[in-house]
Amino acid sequence: MRRLRNPVAFGVLVLAVVLAPFLFSNYRTYQLGFVGLYLVALLGLDILTGFTGQISLGHGAFMGIGAYTTTILVVDHGVRDLWTIPLGGVVAGVIGLAFGIPATRFAGPYLALATFAIPLAFIGILKRFPHFTGGTNGKNLPQLHPELGWHTNPSIWFYVVCWFVALVMLPLAFFIVRGRFGRALRSVRDSEIAATANGVSTAGVKTAAFGISAFYCGVAGSLYAIGTTYVNPDTFPIDLSILLLVGIVLGGAGSLYGMLFGALFVEFIRLTWGPALLNLFSKAHHIDTHAPGSGLVVYGVVLLLVLYLAPAGAAGLVRGLSGRPAFLRRKEDPSLSDPGLV
Amino acid sequence: MRKTFLLIVAALAVTAVVGATAGARPTATPGVTAKSILLEGTYPLSGPASGYAPIPVGMGAYFSYVNAQGGVNGRKINWHYEDDGYNPANTVQITHKFVEQDHAFALVGGLGTEPQLAVRQYLNDNKVPQLFVATGATTFDRDFAQYPWTIGWQPDYEAEGAIYGKYVAANMPNAKIGILYQNDSYGNDYLRGFKAGLRAHQSQIVTAQPYDLSATTPPAVQMVKIKASGADTLVLFATPTPTIQAYVIGTKIGYKPANVITNSVSATDAFLTIAEKSGSDIVEGSLSVEYTLDPANPIYNKQPGMKLYRQIMAKYAPKANVNDGLNLYGVAKAWNVVQLLKSLGKNPTRTGLMAAARKMTFTPGKKNANPFLLPGVSTYTRGNFQFPITQVKLVKYVNHVFQPQGKLFAGRGALR
Repeated sequence: MRRLRNPVAFGVLVLAVVLAPFLFSNYRTYQLGFVGLYLVALLGLDILTGFTGQISLGHGAFMGIGAYTTTILVVDHGVRDLWTIPLGGVVAGVIGLAFGIPATRFAGPYLALATFAIPLAFIGILKRFPHFTGGTNGKNLPQLHPELGWHTNPSIWFYVVCWFVALVMLPLAFFIVRGRFGRALRSVRDSEIAATANGVSTAGVKTAAFGISAFYCGVAGSLYAIGTTYVNPDTFPIDLSILLLVGIVLGGAGSLYGMLFGALFVEFIRLTWGPALLNLFSKAHHIDTHAPGSGLVVYGVVLLLVLYLAPAGAAGLVRGLSGRPAFLRRKEDPSLSDPGLV
Repeated sequence: MRKTFLLIVAALAVTAVVGATAGARPTATPGVTAKSILLEGTYPLSGPASGYAPIPVGMGAYFSYVNAQGGVNGRKINWHYEDDGYNPANTVQITHKFVEQDHAFALVGGLGTEPQLAVRQYLNDNKVPQLFVATGATTFDRDFAQYPWTIGWQPDYEAEGAIYGKYVAANMPNAKIGILYQNDSYGNDYLRGFKAGLRAHQSQIVTAQPYDLSATTPPAVQMVKIKASGADTLVLFATPTPTIQAYVIGTKIGYKPANVITNSVSATDAFLTIAEKSGSDIVEGSLSVEYTLDPANPIYNKQPGMKLYRQIMAKYAPKANVNDGLNLYGVAKAWNVVQLLKSLGKNPTRTGLMAAARKMTFTPGKKNANPFLLPGVSTYTRGNFQFPITQVKLVKYVNHVFQPQGKLFAGRGALR
């Protein structure tokens, strides 16, 4: 039964992905496309944060690197947009590895601080070389057009592309966190000293995890550029890096399926759920929903509630529902003993 | 296993029913029903540019006023706006929602150069009007042939720069000019216009110092260089924060230019008051331009437009700061929108709206000028001339209020 759980869960996910465009409007389908690409980004960050225990405040910039790779190749060199998706991942991954080699010598909060420099530097570099990057004006990409002889709405085609990529990257993440390498990742998270004593090269493992996560974020960034058809430095603010980290925590760090919830949150909280909740409250209490920054209040409240009520994130909540209530269980980290499960 | 399967089937059945009933059918003309017209826009209500948040409030107040009088040709204007936090990626998603889910008739007054650049191609591809964007970037007016569904409203930065150039050439032929400008399309639009306005007097520019918006330090080095160049006339083509910093740094390094010219985006009472309170003594006497009535200056209180503005704001946006010119900017823009809608008659179409926007004659001579703009300012477009507002008045900052100086200037026309 347990061995079946992963294939069954994956099958259900594939079925839901196939059916969703038939059930939702074009706009919702377009948004779900973004959920797919955020899932890719969160999977990458989860490998670094959830499985290896390294906190990064800079992965929004790796999405930016992927997005700019796609944009520059498509706009200035006429490369077909779809082919740039793996290239965006490779460029971001290589830069991630190069950054990871010195940075992962830092431990814990020091690494987080070092990664905080990435988005700051990234925005500065974009503005410094306007002939290459388009500067503050940014660059417009052409709209993604359906291929394979299929005539459909660009929003639906975007969804198809995003989820095709996501459904390749998800099993790939399972293979990465399984077996020898996966155990090495988790040993670094749980005790670097013990890991070293067992012959694990902690710096090497951390650097590899950094590169893999940057690759995932680069792929997500390529899709992001294709979806928004526009990039400029403002589209990759520092908030994006922090939002990704919040997505990991809410989804449940160390769980791969949990990232699905994280991705839904990242996409919907700011533009859809936040304003909707605010409207609900404002009708009852006459709050000015258009007051500057009022949307952020909802975001903050939701975040606090989740951390208070479900500290292990959505994945922890689901786990709790399917088994004994959390307070009856022994304290254990399920991702340690059973990495691939929900 | 069987239980799981049943659960999945049940869940899918429920979503199928919900999905099938939820999709609303678009009408013949999107956003227009027998009783209403839907207009939507994106604004930065949060983030670094949230200072612009009063604009859609002013627009909403004017639409409510029009609705209370029966609306436009029997239809009420339904005004809806959302926060994009000045992040173009958010603007794109919200704009997709406006077009594909809400089916807005037109997008009105969307704010910000980059956010509006991000959605311009998409809106033109979908033939949705991008009406009166709230940015002075010249491209939105100039490139109308390539983007027929996009039009600006306010004087463009290039034209405003040209007015300062012409003013300096005519009135300060011996001035030595030092310029601080933002090194992007915003600052460069201004600089290009300024040089065009100076014409033969371009040699009066002794130095032009760029600064980067992403720079983490204030433009101190640039100000020192401008002082060292011997410039007696300081020209600031900068966004609000660096403008304030330049004023303060100027005083700190003992720089006393005889004249200061500040572009209109940064020249509001609020920003200049901050500069003064932060210790600058070179704010007094700053020159800029205005094209709308200024609620902060009591000399306009007898204008019919100002009286109407105060009535509308008191009734429909009582919590707003009525002396903030950004509210009036919103009301003035909404006036033009309503005039266009009225001219479309009983069956408004998107094509008709753009055709009307391309052929506006709201001029004082025709007795239908926008009452919220300065007396004499027209909103006029025709053929290859697609710059709605081009006339401005020079204003001088005296005792915390901008006082108008002389007659109206036309920024466009003399340029070509």
